[in-house]
Amino acid sequence: MGREVGIVGVGQTHHARRRTDVSQAGLVREAVDRALADANLSMEDIDTIVIATGPVLFAAVNQPEKWVVDAIGAQGKSVVRLTSGGGAGFAGALAGYYQVAGGYSERTLVVAYDKLSEGQLQYSISTLYDPFWGREFAVGIMGFSAAYWRARMDVLGHTEEAAAMVAAKNRNNAIKNPYAHQKKQVTVEDVLNSKALCWPIKLLDVPPISDGAAAIVLASDKVAHHSTTRPAWIRGMAYCCEADNAPERSLMLSEPLAIASRQVYRAAGITNPRRQFDVVEVQEPYSCFELNYYESLGLCPPGQAAELIASGATQVDGDIPVNPSGGCMGANPIGAVGVIRLIEAATQVMGRNETHQIKDAKTALVQSGGGWANLRGCAVLSA
Amino acid sequence: MFYAPDTAPIDLPTFKSTISLPYTLTPGKAAGTFLAEMPNRRIVASRFADGSVIAPAQDFSPKDGEEPVELVQAPETGELTGFTRVDGVVLGLVKLDGCRNAFVHRILADMADVKVGQRVAAQWSASDEGTSILAIEGFVIAADAPVGEVKPLVGPAEPLGVINYGMALHYDHAYGPYYGRMFDELKENGVVMGVRGSNADEALLPPREIDDITHKRTGTWKACADTGTIRACSLINMEVYGQTRPVPYAYAEIVLDGASTKMIHIIEIDDLEVAKQQIKPGTRVRAVWTKGERKGAVSDIERFEVIEG
Repeated sequence: MGREVGIVGVGQTHHARRRTDVSQAGLVREAVDRALADANLSMEDIDTIVIATGPVLFAAVNQPEKWVVDAIGAQGKSVVRLTSGGGAGFAGALAGYYQVAGGYSERTLVVAYDKLSEGQLQYSISTLYDPFWGREFAVGIMGFSAAYWRARMDVLGHTEEAAAMVAAKNRNNAIKNPYAHQKKQVTVEDVLNSKALCWPIKLLDVPPISDGAAAIVLASDKVAHHSTTRPAWIRGMAYCCEADNAPERSLMLSEPLAIASRQVYRAAGITNPRRQFDVVEVQEPYSCFELNYYESLGLCPPGQAAELIASGATQVDGDIPVNPSGGCMGANPIGAVGVIRLIEAATQVMGRNETHQIKDAKTALVQSGGGWANLRGCAVLSA
Repeated sequence: MFYAPDTAPIDLPTFKSTISLPYTLTPGKAAGTFLAEMPNRRIVASRFADGSVIAPAQDFSPKDGEEPVELVQAPETGELTGFTRVDGVVLGLVKLDGCRNAFVHRILADMADVKVGQRVAAQWSASDEGTSILAIEGFVIAADAPVGEVKPLVGPAEPLGVINYGMALHYDHAYGPYYGRMFDELKENGVVMGVRGSNADEALLPPREIDDITHKRTGTWKACADTGTIRACSLINMEVYGQTRPVPYAYAEIVLDGASTKMIHIIEIDDLEVAKQQIKPGTRVRAVWTKGERKGAVSDIERFEVIEG
């Protein structure tokens, strides 16, 4: 195994539906300044940098790292740019984790962003489809996600009501999140009565479209104490994939997430996730995904996600709060979301979450993913 | 495995595809001011703490990432530091007087008359008075032009917040032998053909050389039926850019009879509430073929329809 790695500084922008006052690079700069200040560091202290974004088509800038390097003062540093769809930020953090754990860097800055107001989100995502075989019928990721939610309804009982409870929980949690921009009290009935976009997905099951960036500083156990007395240590982290169109792919449980969580739980000594985690942050691009992750992460057995949400256990005051930050429902700058979820979980175990600090939170679970639901990962953080 | 015989042709018809997208890009404060000042015929630059001036204006120093101390007005004269010719147009690197960097623009001269180190001067466009760098038509050779000075920018325009931009990317995708045969069969015979998995009778669609799960070579070709079963479906009731048909309709992932993997297609619907009951995972469907000559594409099937009863 590699060295111990901790998150020692975090920063995110105040996310917005549209920021016309800054360029993409300027947005990145805001998050980097905040993370470095939080870690009591300056750019000179950073050894390596990972820049993560969603697909280039989201904002029409190819190799954006060339632009970003100038904006964050990273000239002459080791810079790697990484993209992995919606999981880009998480994949970027994993790449940074490897660098520090492997002893190639003492401090790595991971910054992730997307400025989604600039392009055509769903159409850009449709280009992930095989150009010969299905792209002309694609409706971004929403048509696909709704289709497999519909299938999980029959097999696993992930009802519209259960997903509406997730949407209402996360939207209401986001009201207190200082970085969120979608802040409106909604009820389960509001969600159920909202307009069908790609039924069963309805308007209020869908997160906002956002401009935003997020950054974390990862440090080795040797230098972490220079930044904070209480880092969020990464106890395990993995990101797995599955074949895109293989006969065995059921899309009922998220198989790559189940594989990733087994690896991570083994590394982190987690045998009973429901009892051992104090708080969970998941990337739920639509409300239905959170139900899927409850089961794939082992928070409940397959087929019991609807009961779990209905029991109130995943509410802020429940025994296993999920997305006290509001998750994607408060803000969804897609490429940045993996890092935002890490920030929200890290600040929980550092005891300084700004939205809903869970009392005495010591161990947190983070999930993120991208692609066609075929790339999924998770991490365990603890104080 | 993984090779074609030497006798196989390598230059075959391709599948043409275009990705075309509109954007609303944000230039940021410095570049936004530069663009907003183009109609005023002023070239805006950034002055940084170390005294260096960069034109066009930038929000961050290329040296250390710091923000500019102020925006300034650069002179319209400078020096050519390099040049080339593209499609008959001379493009040059122009270093404006008092600035640290050079930027690319048109050089309005014959290639033969252009030399590195030459003095040049901006020529404003007579026709383009918009907020684009092309409001400068280009730079003309101006051997005797006096050395200009960087001046304070008096009363700068509000920076441009958004720039409309469009991008159309054209691709020629190679079919490869497996997709090639599948679409040939579709076109010539109106049959959807896949290949059997390495140890299964059901066909993989689209066909492929290697079985995703066993990583062994796939089996023989197999014609699938044009009927099948819905595996997953959603009812599209939302208009998005790039959509090719009016809403509502159903998006369906269908496993054709004889196949093991999905085909993506659509089903027409009249009413959402009726469709919720009629179109579900497990619903049996049949292809409705497109009338007229087949093209050898998935669109040779116009849509699927529910098999009643």
